[in-house]
Amino acid sequence: MSKSDVVVIGNGFAGLMSALVSADQGKKVTLLSYGAGTFPLNSGVIDILGYDDSGKAVASPAQAIAALDAEHPYKKVGTQALEESVKFFQDVVSSEGFPYIGSLNEQQWVITGVGTLKPSCLIPESMQGSKCFDASEIVLVGIKGLKDFYVDMVAENLAKELGNDKKYTTVIIDIDRKGARDLTTRDVAYWLDSEAGYKDFVSKLKGHAGAGKVILVPQVLGTKGNTVYKKIVSDLGCPVVETTAMPPSINGLRLRDVLLSALKKKGIRVIENCKAEKADISGSKAVSVQAGGEVRTQTYSADKFILATGGFYSGGITMRDFGKAKEVIFGLPVVADCVEERWVNKQLFSNQKQTFAKAGVRVDETLRGVDESGNVALENVYVAGRNLSGYDFCFEHSGNGVALASAYKAAKA
Amino acid sequence: MVKEKATVVVVGGGATGVGILRDLSMRGIDALLIEKLDMVNGASSRYHGLLHSGARYAVRDQEAAKECIEENTILRRIGKSCVEATTGMFVQVEGDDPDFVDPWVKGCAESGIKTRELTKEEALRMEPNLSRKLIRAFEVPDGAIDGFRMSWQNLQSAARYGGRYKTYTELIKINVESGTVKSITVRDNVTKEEYDIECEILVNAAGPWAGKVAEMAGLECSVSPSKGTLIAFNQRISNRVVNRLRKPSNGDIFVPHGSITILGTSSITIPDPEDTSTSWEEVEELMKTGEGVFEHLRDYRILRVFAGSRPLYVPKGADGGRNASRGFVTLDHEKEDGLKGMMTICGGKFTTYRLMAEKFCDVLAPKLGNTAKCRTAEEDLVPAVSDADKKAARQYFPAYGVNLAATRLGTEKFPEVVKTLKENPESREIICECENVTMAELMRIAQEPTSHSIADVRRRTRLGMGTCQGNYCALRSAAIVNKLFKNKLEGCNDSLSDMKNFLQARWKGITPVMAGKTLREAEMTRGMYEVLFNVNGGRR
Repeated sequence: MSKSDVVVIGNGFAGLMSALVSADQGKKVTLLSYGAGTFPLNSGVIDILGYDDSGKAVASPAQAIAALDAEHPYKKVGTQALEESVKFFQDVVSSEGFPYIGSLNEQQWVITGVGTLKPSCLIPESMQGSKCFDASEIVLVGIKGLKDFYVDMVAENLAKELGNDKKYTTVIIDIDRKGARDLTTRDVAYWLDSEAGYKDFVSKLKGHAGAGKVILVPQVLGTKGNTVYKKIVSDLGCPVVETTAMPPSINGLRLRDVLLSALKKKGIRVIENCKAEKADISGSKAVSVQAGGEVRTQTYSADKFILATGGFYSGGITMRDFGKAKEVIFGLPVVADCVEERWVNKQLFSNQKQTFAKAGVRVDETLRGVDESGNVALENVYVAGRNLSGYDFCFEHSGNGVALASAYKAAKA
Repeated sequence: MVKEKATVVVVGGGATGVGILRDLSMRGIDALLIEKLDMVNGASSRYHGLLHSGARYAVRDQEAAKECIEENTILRRIGKSCVEATTGMFVQVEGDDPDFVDPWVKGCAESGIKTRELTKEEALRMEPNLSRKLIRAFEVPDGAIDGFRMSWQNLQSAARYGGRYKTYTELIKINVESGTVKSITVRDNVTKEEYDIECEILVNAAGPWAGKVAEMAGLECSVSPSKGTLIAFNQRISNRVVNRLRKPSNGDIFVPHGSITILGTSSITIPDPEDTSTSWEEVEELMKTGEGVFEHLRDYRILRVFAGSRPLYVPKGADGGRNASRGFVTLDHEKEDGLKGMMTICGGKFTTYRLMAEKFCDVLAPKLGNTAKCRTAEEDLVPAVSDADKKAARQYFPAYGVNLAATRLGTEKFPEVVKTLKENPESREIICECENVTMAELMRIAQEPTSHSIADVRRRTRLGMGTCQGNYCALRSAAIVNKLFKNKLEGCNDSLSDMKNFLQARWKGITPVMAGKTLREAEMTRGMYEVLFNVNGGRR
């Protein structure tokens, strides 16, 4: 039996940020970690709000948030906490030597692994797609044997976004990995971490760099922060841009490593491979959670709990039968408009939000779960990230933004 | 305008039609099969893929049971690479009528179907996921069969005997002169060209669409399309086919195929055979019944739900649905309606497709003065791919994939693909990891005359049809397919549309089961394609 001030449940972006902010408040924090959240999935870019309710691109997230529905998590979190959360995040990653550029007042443009543009808000220096906007030539670099990055397709789609007055050239680099059948971005990134690999790569690219050009590469520039990125920009003498990538994406893992390093410095206790299973409740408060570890079930007590278990994707919320959605640890009330006619939009990619995506725990302005009448379910349990109801992160491009803002708010509450 | 001639034209590219084409061709009769879409798009690929032992019919319809066990034995022999000889189990669980068992055991014995009663412990050891509410269990010689592949192998076999076939060729008119069918008018659904085909005998093998074909000749043929809904699970829940030991009903068959399991089936009479929609109610009914056999059914990930129409023949005055006969009828319209040169085959089930063709052609052939005997049970559908070819292929891609590719491609195309793999290292790229589809195989199948659209190529190669449901290969295949076939195959114009259309096609089967682990997959698919790759395009 161990007692903390705060127990954070969840190892994704919302969980790690909740833990960091809580520790920053001087609290004794325990983080129960299971899985890796969506870090490998989302390329580690922080989308705040890419598209409004009508599906139009948002120029300034700060402004567009004002127009959102009252049930949207950003409305529950409030503008001030959102602004503070952005600053907090940028300070953390900067102090770890992995700065993220951007602000709430403008959009950053990232180039995706298929060659489309994607609005995001906070991004690492290596992913500034806007550098391509004014270039006269974009050199697309493929790597022989690397699956899931096809320079011809990227060039075709990028030309549709940026126009045909630019030159799009393609290069395939053979990194001479004998015996390896298929490469992943990860394999190439590890190879670029090595001195020999890096030297080989740069020597093969050198002839393609030049004034007015931008070198566009898949997400392969090393696994450790922005070390390789800084070096290669200086060695090639022209801008280099990384795209988003098929999971598992390197930049998501870079961000995760950096946040874990910050966690360590703050003295946060991380319990690995620890799946929280149920809570002990006394009256209107949670007393502890029980979690299955490697060997036996352990009990973790705290004054406050932050639930960041990732909704349907990570199993924080389940729905075995139609209409019977539940939050699995505390049994917090879940809203799900599970009616056959509207639960799923028949078009996968459409101009409407998916109803099922908006299911989740309804919360008050302190991010505690509330029932239909607005009564707080458990006084000391706060919800962050994908468990929240009222938003479709895919339609809006708001996933990591909601995670960040709600984590900050939940930790501060 | 008469553009073509054939002694016999068969309408309908399902199991019934291809079986007849093969049978006629082997008897030396010149025959042409036409299909309005791609081959095997109806009931023959939209069912559970159970190779019946006949045990399911042992009580109600012993004639059908006997036919099943005989055909089961034949298909195992002639269609080895399409059959998974799993055996099957009939299980009785708490709540099932105990009085059904004895007549069933007796019925099986009388029909020639071997059954063996298992102790409860034995049954649970063989199939550990079975419900603990199990009471009795019997082993029977059921199996799993790939209806899609078997139908294509029938076509290959027919082609060796001169049989011809055309896809995307739709019957639009039957031309009758003085009480005799002289020709048909068809439309090429790719070029939209319309032309006539002369024939001596027109065979209506259009399955649930048979009534519509008969109408074109001014005849009535009462077919009641009966929709069956099925659920595909991501795991192999059992190693054998598992049937509920009770009066045949909805949702009591589980059939394992490779790494998945199919649960079926519902039975709803519908007016339109094109209706393959499914509702929550149907899904829920299947799940509820299925849970009786496998308690933890809801914890498995559902891949997709799909539906097909059975072509149930309803004699005048009878009702359709589950009580309609699974037997088949041969209608000689000369005898029945006084129209010469047209015959209809209707009803039946996949397991007995070969026998149906035999009996049907026994009536048809003498009309043409042909007295050859049916030989379809004697010869394998396709010769086996040689070990030498497989061994050569193993140098270029994973051993597991070699067998998959060999059975998909067959003796002629497989060595060609291996040659491409050898000569062109780039073509070794595995585009679909679930189904082990290489670029070389895609390139080869795209050259087939039946490959009009990228969707045709996908069906033949199974590209993106595996358990990742396209999450990992949608991008990859869109890129490669566009590089190879852009503006050469229909539906292959730009990579983003192809990616979206492909994922949308998968989505159709996912939406009716958006609960449980399917929700998790949906979050991932959207997170990847809508967010990470922003396939809707950036500056909207």
